[in-house]
Amino acid sequence: MYRIQLEKFEGPLDLLLFLIQRDEIDILDIPIARITDEYLGHVRLMETIDLDGVADFLYLASMLISIKVRMLLPQQEEESEPLDPRQELVERLLEYRRYKEAAGRLGMQHDERSRFFTRGEASASEFASMPEHLVNTSTYNLISALRRILVDAPEEPTLAIAAREYSLAELRSFVLEAVAVRGVMSFAVLVRLKSKKFIIGAFLAVLEMAQLGQVVIRAATSENDFLVGPTTANG
Amino acid sequence: MDSKRQDELMQAVEALVFAADQPVKASQIARIIGEVAAEQAPEDKVIESVVARLNARYEAQGTALRIHFWAGGYRMATTEAVAPYLQAFFRGDRGRRLTRPLMETLAIICYRQPATKPEVDHIRGVDSDYALRRLLDYGLIAFAGRAEAIGRPILYATTDRFLEAFGLSDLGALPNLREVEALLGDPSFNQAQARMLMVNGLHDSEGEAL
Repeated sequence: MYRIQLEKFEGPLDLLLFLIQRDEIDILDIPIARITDEYLGHVRLMETIDLDGVADFLYLASMLISIKVRMLLPQQEEESEPLDPRQELVERLLEYRRYKEAAGRLGMQHDERSRFFTRGEASASEFASMPEHLVNTSTYNLISALRRILVDAPEEPTLAIAAREYSLAELRSFVLEAVAVRGVMSFAVLVRLKSKKFIIGAFLAVLEMAQLGQVVIRAATSENDFLVGPTTANG
Repeated sequence: MDSKRQDELMQAVEALVFAADQPVKASQIARIIGEVAAEQAPEDKVIESVVARLNARYEAQGTALRIHFWAGGYRMATTEAVAPYLQAFFRGDRGRRLTRPLMETLAIICYRQPATKPEVDHIRGVDSDYALRRLLDYGLIAFAGRAEAIGRPILYATTDRFLEAFGLSDLGALPNLREVEALLGDPSFNQAQARMLMVNGLHDSEGEAL
């Protein structure tokens, strides 16, 4: 067994940028053949250590090889000025570098901020203890609760009134208004005495809003129900 | 305003900012003061000047507290001078800094918001699923609707918590994203090639997803 300490790269662009900076290469005039060889050398080394992590690096490897091939082919005579095959790569590298730098500056900003301590949460960098923003009940529980509620729900009224159609948007605002006024509440109570159509629609609206973080879903004491609440209430 | 009323106002602002565990907006403070005193709520400007006076007083008295303007509201925090004591006190329970993938993802979202996952993935060249989840868990980013693109991808934007955690009053306080020209600020910079890049790429690629 042997171990190799590899420089930790966040991704293929990060690795390529490292090679370019290490060799003091002009980013606008990358010697593709040489860089491709170096890049592939690194990727092969990574393959021997961590096969999973290497997948992200292969796309850029194929891009490099394709550029290398195009650079070797004779330029075609066209009326427009010849396009440098390296252009897309350079654009992506520069774009990535801008954000990498921005990330560095944000990190410093965060370090500065963490020298000020506030009440409440002991410190601003205490991310580990954030309240979970989540759904802590399983899908099966939700479905079984829905089934139970539907069994109890009244059939569509048989009176000769045209069945009312509900749009998802309508149901979303119905749910949002209810939880805004009443806080965390039982889904069964929310749709009490509503038609099956309405209940199913409201259920879908709740799921969608939970995914978007507009409401939270929590397990209720009964398996036949669950709780819906506004995102602001953490209690 | 008589000086007794003035003192009351300062005490009220100080108490609210002290007790709150998140930034309190001037308008919120004003509304509460108006409610309790059963009179016209003071203007936001008044609250602002009260905070400035509180800070001046803290400074003059040499206290270890200051009121900062973060995420559009007022937040009381300890001074930098006493940071070593607090760091020693909280050693162990303090969370670490964000990892590099998280910082990169956060930077992309904060400068391009609202941004989609495909946009973030493209810029980073790697899948950002895990990073986005963590940032959501930490409350630094939030869902901001869906894009009109194919598949209606979810849009992400930074939160007030992000502003507070990074000590920013608002998004305008972010340092500017460096321009490509500055990035290429070396003498070997090829004008013709740079122009080609400007025309075809970076500047107008700002808005598109992929």
